[in-house]
Amino acid sequence: MTRVVVSGLGVVSPYGVGAKTFWAGLARGDCAIRPLTVIDTEGFRSRIAAEVPAEVLPTLGVSRRRSRADRIALAAAREALAEADLTPADRANTGLFVGAVGGGMLEGEEWYCEEARTGRPLPRLRALRSILPVSHAESLAWRLRLGGPRETVVMACASGAASIALGADMIRSGGTPLVLAGGVDAITRICFMGFNALKLLDPEPCRPFDRGRRGMSIGEAAAFLVLEDAEHCRARGARVLGELLGAGMTTDAHHVTAPHPEGEGMIRAMAEALAAGDRDPADIGYVNAHGTGTPQNDRVEALALARVFGEGRVLVSSTKSLVGHTMAAAGSVEAAATLLTLQHGLVPPTANLREPDPDVPFDCVPGCARPVELRTALSNSFGFGGQNVSLVFGR
Amino acid sequence: MTQKEILDELKALIVERLKFDPRRAADMTAETTLPKGLEGSLGLDSLDFIELSVAMEERFGIVIDETESLTDEFLSLDSLSRFVLSKVK
Amino acid sequence: MIRSRRVAITGIGSVNAAEQGGSSAVAAALARPPHAIAAVKIMAVEGSGSGLAAQIDDARLMALLDAADVRRLSRICRMALAACRLASAEAGLEGGSRVGLAMGSEYGDFRSGAEFFNGFLRRGPSGLSPMIFPNTVMNSMAAVVAIAVGAKAPSITLNQATVAGDLAVARGAALIADGRADAVLAGGVDEIFLDVYRGLAALGALSPMRGQGPEGCRPYARDHNGPVVGEGATFVVLESLGRARARGAAIIAEVRGTAWASLPVAPHAAPVRRRDASGTVRRALEQAELEPAALGRCYGSGNGDPSLDDWETALLAADGIRDPISLAPRFGQHGGLGALRVAAGALAARDGAGPALVHGIARGGCRAALVIGEAA
Repeated sequence: MTRVVVSGLGVVSPYGVGAKTFWAGLARGDCAIRPLTVIDTEGFRSRIAAEVPAEVLPTLGVSRRRSRADRIALAAAREALAEADLTPADRANTGLFVGAVGGGMLEGEEWYCEEARTGRPLPRLRALRSILPVSHAESLAWRLRLGGPRETVVMACASGAASIALGADMIRSGGTPLVLAGGVDAITRICFMGFNALKLLDPEPCRPFDRGRRGMSIGEAAAFLVLEDAEHCRARGARVLGELLGAGMTTDAHHVTAPHPEGEGMIRAMAEALAAGDRDPADIGYVNAHGTGTPQNDRVEALALARVFGEGRVLVSSTKSLVGHTMAAAGSVEAAATLLTLQHGLVPPTANLREPDPDVPFDCVPGCARPVELRTALSNSFGFGGQNVSLVFGR
Repeated sequence: MTQKEILDELKALIVERLKFDPRRAADMTAETTLPKGLEGSLGLDSLDFIELSVAMEERFGIVIDETESLTDEFLSLDSLSRFVLSKVK
Repeated sequence: MIRSRRVAITGIGSVNAAEQGGSSAVAAALARPPHAIAAVKIMAVEGSGSGLAAQIDDARLMALLDAADVRRLSRICRMALAACRLASAEAGLEGGSRVGLAMGSEYGDFRSGAEFFNGFLRRGPSGLSPMIFPNTVMNSMAAVVAIAVGAKAPSITLNQATVAGDLAVARGAALIADGRADAVLAGGVDEIFLDVYRGLAALGALSPMRGQGPEGCRPYARDHNGPVVGEGATFVVLESLGRARARGAAIIAEVRGTAWASLPVAPHAAPVRRRDASGTVRRALEQAELEPAALGRCYGSGNGDPSLDDWETALLAADGIRDPISLAPRFGQHGGLGALRVAAGALAARDGAGPALVHGIARGGCRAALVIGEAA
């Protein structure tokens, strides 16, 4: 059976540019959630987020005329492809799966606000065209000369993970030997205001799995993986960063905002991923949780984890406690974190975890990264509306 | 504001914000129950309640603490209007 | 590409400007001359340069739905739900953990996004509606349908211009072939929203492009001068052929082959080039084990956009395929059109017209090809 490996990784995160910078921040347990600067937050209850640092944007080598999301996507994708060291012929066969939700909405909102203020229609060609999530795939395929099958996957908070799962499926079925898969989301007013309106944001940096947790923190990022047929990778002598052993994808079909109360879809996704990867729960040493920090998500996720793995049987930590909930990018950002965790044998901590919730029967690695010898790990992304993806990675 | 006035405002909010048919408002009384799962209720779920809370905060100038469990208060139009009355005073 | 499981089409459901219903409604719309494109109603488009569209009658749409049931659903969600219910009913499809969704859209629920944001512009933070917020993410239609139908296998939403429906059906077939689902409701949906219509017209993206010639939808014609927008939702029920046969389902047709790729052009560009190294059509035909000459007909995505029409014609000619048929004059350009092409191909194959190629190419280079044939 075809095995799928990872031969390239690229990240632009609230820590800065590059997978190395990303890992350094995770390993240090730095919480990058701070007062928002990129949008006006006057009048809102929660006014913080994890932003890509302002000084980083101009260094990305991408035109300022592009949307913010497009710029960070391109930079992350470039890094991943550079690491994979593909020939132009390889790139012509490389598929592209992009998880996206907000698209260029940040710039679209500015345009819309200006129209509302002046009362005059202001058809900004670039803004209208770059608003939609599909705009990233169009830029990336063109700039990076990728000729394989192209899909823009919109699956709320699971988009980045779904892209990886579908990209791997494409390779396994023989459609293409290579796929660039990942996700991107920049801060947008709609997202920030919406989660505020739903009262799902913590006014302080989020505290996943903490007894006193009060909600999420938003973040922005882009992360891409080069997925490759293992044989193809071996034949061209490229370096392997890890293996995608299996992926599970399910839908709760329960409610548009609340998860199934017993985590039914989450359990199925994890079980499916393990089965696909031919692994038992006992093989997993670490779970990179969806871990948003909302009272509801963490409770249900913990329940699901206990059902699948048994109480206390895996280490669990939330990357969102460090870099916020990066929306469509989250699944791929956290896949990157999981790969790097396996590589380095170091589990990043859950930040801001002062008083673990007694109803969460797991060691959630509070505060400090923990050195652990690991062979396989699992990453969860459970999207708004009950769309669940679990990915199992191996060293 | 009297409780009756609050009740009428609530009915208007339910139509306007929760997209109920205006003709149903005429049939709503203080006894009308709200939560999904109760026979004959309006069938409101968690998303409806968040929307209604936000609308109530704006319309009545009150603050609703979402960390409080307000199951009893949201049981019927009667209990809800009493709840608003207590906040408005 | 090796397909491990064969994929059948066992149901069709569509709400569009011409008709609404299952297979027979779609067949009726295809049999009639185009009539659904008319002057835009319910919106003020004066001064926009374009004034035609293929619009759905809301009263007819609501006749398919229970008003109390859908009170909270946005208009585009209602359209998707109505069409999916029609398709499921025709197929006799029930929900479960092996039933998935694949939904394509060009613009998603833009209307809800604008409504949500306008609440803020008018009244500040207290003007925001929490209830509308979930609709601002493009997968809300899929989430709503999944709940209504009980579809618990993956629900994938794909954003793509021009070939959203084609791509969704190809993706849906792949989900089944790859074993992630046994049945998938696959198709596309878009609604007409004033801000988007005006924006497209201002961009010069609608007929009459460059203000030249009469406004209208004339794909592949010498006097083509741009697309006319439409709206609608069309879904097909895709099912593992083995499972469909085992449960005695009426099989309309089979998805015999699929392929999709990216052509190397700049975003929104539609240069006329015959050369395409992706071999998209060839790969789809190979999977179907067919030669181009065996095809009964080709449905193309050409919608009157001159550059896109000409590009597609050139690409198809290079693959030995001529005279593509466009459904845009009947239904207008929208995310459901690709699924209508698949439905048309399925009905044609069922009625003995031979296998159909459903082909699409979008500005920016997303290309898709599906071969629909009789289930042997």
